Amino acid sequence: MDSEKEREIIQVAASGTGMDTVLSRRQFLVFSGRAITVLATMDICRAWGSDSALVILDNAKGLVVADASRCVGCQRCELACTEFNDGRAQPSLARIQVGRTINFGPEGSLGRNQAQGLWGGGTFSQDICHQCPHPVPCATACPNDAILADPRTGARVVDTSRCSGCRLCLRACPWDMIRFDEESQKATKCFLCQGSPKCVEACPAGALRYVPWRNIARETAPRTAVFPVISAEKARGCLDCHLGR
Amino acid sequence: MRERAGGFAGKVLRVDLSTGKIGFDDTVDRYREVLGGTGIGYQVMWEEVPPGTAPFDAANKIVFATGVLAGTGVPCNGRTAVTTLFPSCWPKPLVASGHMGGQFAAKLKYAGYDALIVEGKSDKPVWIMIRDGMVQVRDAGHLWGCGIRRTTFEISREMGPDCVVAAIGQAGEHLVPLSVVMNSASHSAGGVGAVMGAKNLKAIGVQGSGAVRIAGDRSEWERLVKFHLSILGSNNQHVVPSFPHPQAEYYNPSSRWVGAPGRRWGAAEPPVEINGGLFDLNRIAFRANNGVFYLGEQVWQHTVRGNGCTGCPIRCHTIIKVPSVAAKYGIREVAQNTCVGLLFGRSFFRTLPGGLMSQAALEASMVGMHLADDLGIWCNYGQLQRDMIKLYYEGTLHDRLGSKEYASYSWDKFENGDPRFLFEIIPRIAMRQGELAHDLGLGTGYLLDRWSIPETAWTGDMVSSYWKFGHPKHHANEDDGQCGVIINTQYNRDAQCHSHVNFIRNGLPLAIQKKLAAEIWGSGDAVDAVGAYTPMNIHKARRAKWSLIRKELHDSLGLCNWMGPWVASPIKARGYSGDDSLESRFYSLATGHQTSREELDRIGERIFVLHRALTIRDMGEIDMRRRHDLYPEWIFRDSNDSQPFTKGTIRMDPLDIAKAMDMFYEVMGWGKESGAPTAETYARLGLKAVAQELAAKRLVPGAQP
Ligand code: SF4
Ligand code: SF4
Ligand code: SF4
Repeated sequence: MDSEKEREIIQVAASGTGMDTVLSRRQFLVFSGRAITVLATMDICRAWGSDSALVILDNAKGLVVADASRCVGCQRCELACTEFNDGRAQPSLARIQVGRTINFGPEGSLGRNQAQGLWGGGTFSQDICHQCPHPVPCATACPNDAILADPRTGARVVDTSRCSGCRLCLRACPWDMIRFDEESQKATKCFLCQGSPKCVEACPAGALRYVPWRNIARETAPRTAVFPVISAEKARGCLDCHLGR
Repeated sequence: MRERAGGFAGKVLRVDLSTGKIGFDDTVDRYREVLGGTGIGYQVMWEEVPPGTAPFDAANKIVFATGVLAGTGVPCNGRTAVTTLFPSCWPKPLVASGHMGGQFAAKLKYAGYDALIVEGKSDKPVWIMIRDGMVQVRDAGHLWGCGIRRTTFEISREMGPDCVVAAIGQAGEHLVPLSVVMNSASHSAGGVGAVMGAKNLKAIGVQGSGAVRIAGDRSEWERLVKFHLSILGSNNQHVVPSFPHPQAEYYNPSSRWVGAPGRRWGAAEPPVEINGGLFDLNRIAFRANNGVFYLGEQVWQHTVRGNGCTGCPIRCHTIIKVPSVAAKYGIREVAQNTCVGLLFGRSFFRTLPGGLMSQAALEASMVGMHLADDLGIWCNYGQLQRDMIKLYYEGTLHDRLGSKEYASYSWDKFENGDPRFLFEIIPRIAMRQGELAHDLGLGTGYLLDRWSIPETAWTGDMVSSYWKFGHPKHHANEDDGQCGVIINTQYNRDAQCHSHVNFIRNGLPLAIQKKLAAEIWGSGDAVDAVGAYTPMNIHKARRAKWSLIRKELHDSLGLCNWMGPWVASPIKARGYSGDDSLESRFYSLATGHQTSREELDRIGERIFVLHRALTIRDMGEIDMRRRHDLYPEWIFRDSNDSQPFTKGTIRMDPLDIAKAMDMFYEVMGWGKESGAPTAETYARLGLKAVAQELAAKRLVPGAQP
């Protein structure tokens, strides 16, 4: 990106935060919480232009949240997700995951005595995509810039034309929410159904809701051993901001 | 990727436990005409299991089959039919099916199989592991002697937490005819556990990550699924709530739609308040609470949530948490089941302190579930407990059981409804310990035989609920007059048919039922109010036929006949009508093979007639009317001596029932004298080869060998 353009963006963002100062990139990040919103409304997610790696800065507009105590384990959400979006019933592909906790809860069959699920205390839990804030783990992992923010919802979505099937994003998601479609050999993840989530609509127990985004990443225990992946392409972009010039 | 029809997984898996050989059939080539489920089951039994085979022979096969719609988002599709020769069928084992819900059907489909056929017999305990394309027969030495719960945990540790395990308990291992195979904590198929035990097959673990393809247009599929959801009622398709409510025009206190605004799942954390609109599709799961329906209002406070099969919004299995039982009886505080499964423990007692809906009754039920669902015992639709009560209170046990064994039971606990009695009787049934427990586990027919009690002592007594062939009634004349009687004559175990009763008991006023009946069966006369029966007519015979066909259709598509038949709906704007073309519309969209309601009904009829043919062949008997289609004497009795066709009695009239059978055989196209299908009927249903084989044995009316 030419530095003129860059300056312009930063200024627009900064004025949106009420800070009419010209900021360096690094300083800019300090205020990013508010500035990002402005960038998002400008539909700018590739913050630093086409020559550098794609980094998602804006937050999603919404996310699906789940109430475990209402969930009855019917998997209708998983079925709606895949049937209505993909034309096949395939819970393993669903971008909401319930089946894996139905038997024993999140702790699994090796978990301690306080198991949940059918064979434990009777609570099922739904794993949902957090639509993470920057640095979006799956998108940061992707060497092909295949995970982008949908301009309408801000949902982090897989652009299958760019996805090479390397599965790096699968390893990066702390909640094990990226699915891999073995048929197409592409990754897939929750894309919020363009703003009207099929899973929410399908739930017979009102256990799912589509709400304005908030950061639940810190409130949820990771599902898998976290193995942050930053692709080499993205790492340069990160350094660019975080170390400054 | 190979092109294939949608709906079907495409393959049927065969595992021969004698040789360890694993094989596959193409489902669509070989079984399309019988859909799946009991259709595949009966076809395999017809083609591959010779007459004269005994249930525990290596030559007997056991077929776990789901259907085209299993594993999809079609509501209530989680069923697996388990077909084999039933060891509880008396005096001669014959073909029958048990049906289990839970997660098994869907997982098997996702693994890529429409059915699993188990053949032969292993010489040591094994379990079958199915992980998508990988199938292995694994050693089960460490699992033998374990309950279903431990077995499931051990296999899940081996396969991963989201596999599904269908296992037998100690009862199946000990070849107790009244034993089950169970998956997902509480979903069982009765009467088949011992057949697995005889094969040394402890369990089947399934993990599937694949897809069931929907061949048709996605948005059309979505519309149909949503439409189907809109016409669902509550459990057993009760389409009105059990309580008056401004949103509902009608209500009926006997409806299982007990979830009312203001009630709460008290043991959920935090408790869940039931609120919102009665008909809201996002509230369907709050309608049924079988725990409350069967065990009383007190269960609301113990309700953790509803549970059930994959894809079913109704959740007929209630998860109940009763902390007091952990302290008192040393069992888990959480249990779940549905219908008679919930009542397994309570039903052992004729009287309970505080009555049937008391805390004592609830605790007895918790103990019963804990024991039965782990040891894997089948109650034969409550007949096990009724037999025990009858033997005891008529003094038979006291008179005939050896005094030492008699004294080994605490009969005071039995009489007083003390759940501790259950720890004395239930494990003994599972382990075949002592004469009483051993014989109770055989099923009623063989029990009566061994105790030299004439069957008439049971068939003459309505309290026994006994019907024939070792099994009880299942929604007979008490629910549906002649139609119920006809349906209960047809199977080799209890009828397990709900198509008829789900209409009769849907809760709508009779006038509306008559209107709906006229639309489907040609006349409002097809239906009477319960306990206000009118003489037989042809429309009732048509309804009986329709009910049986729909049952087999559901059992072969993987759908739940307990939630069917979708003749009625809760929707006032539709005049409360349902839609009985749903099955064919779903089938057409799923497979891409355009099918009409009539064509699918014809396939349902073919499956039902295949069952008939198997029964005729294996009995070696053409006179079904007198040898098979039996009904007990008690249907002609009334304790108040009310006359048939008077209000308030379920008493039937012998001549009228004879006429009912005539009419039924007529609408089926079966010989009136014999009750056996004619050559033309077999031909009409594409079963010519079956007819030829039977004709050679003089088992087709009028046929020359
Ligand atoms: S698999 Fe994931 S990380 Fe790899 S290219 Fe596709 S989206 Fe990117
Ligand atoms: S919002 Fe859409 S994509 Fe995301 S889990 Fe729900 S149904 Fe699937
Ligand atoms: S549809 Fe609702 S109740 Fe059913 S599994 Fe999904 S979140 Fe749970």
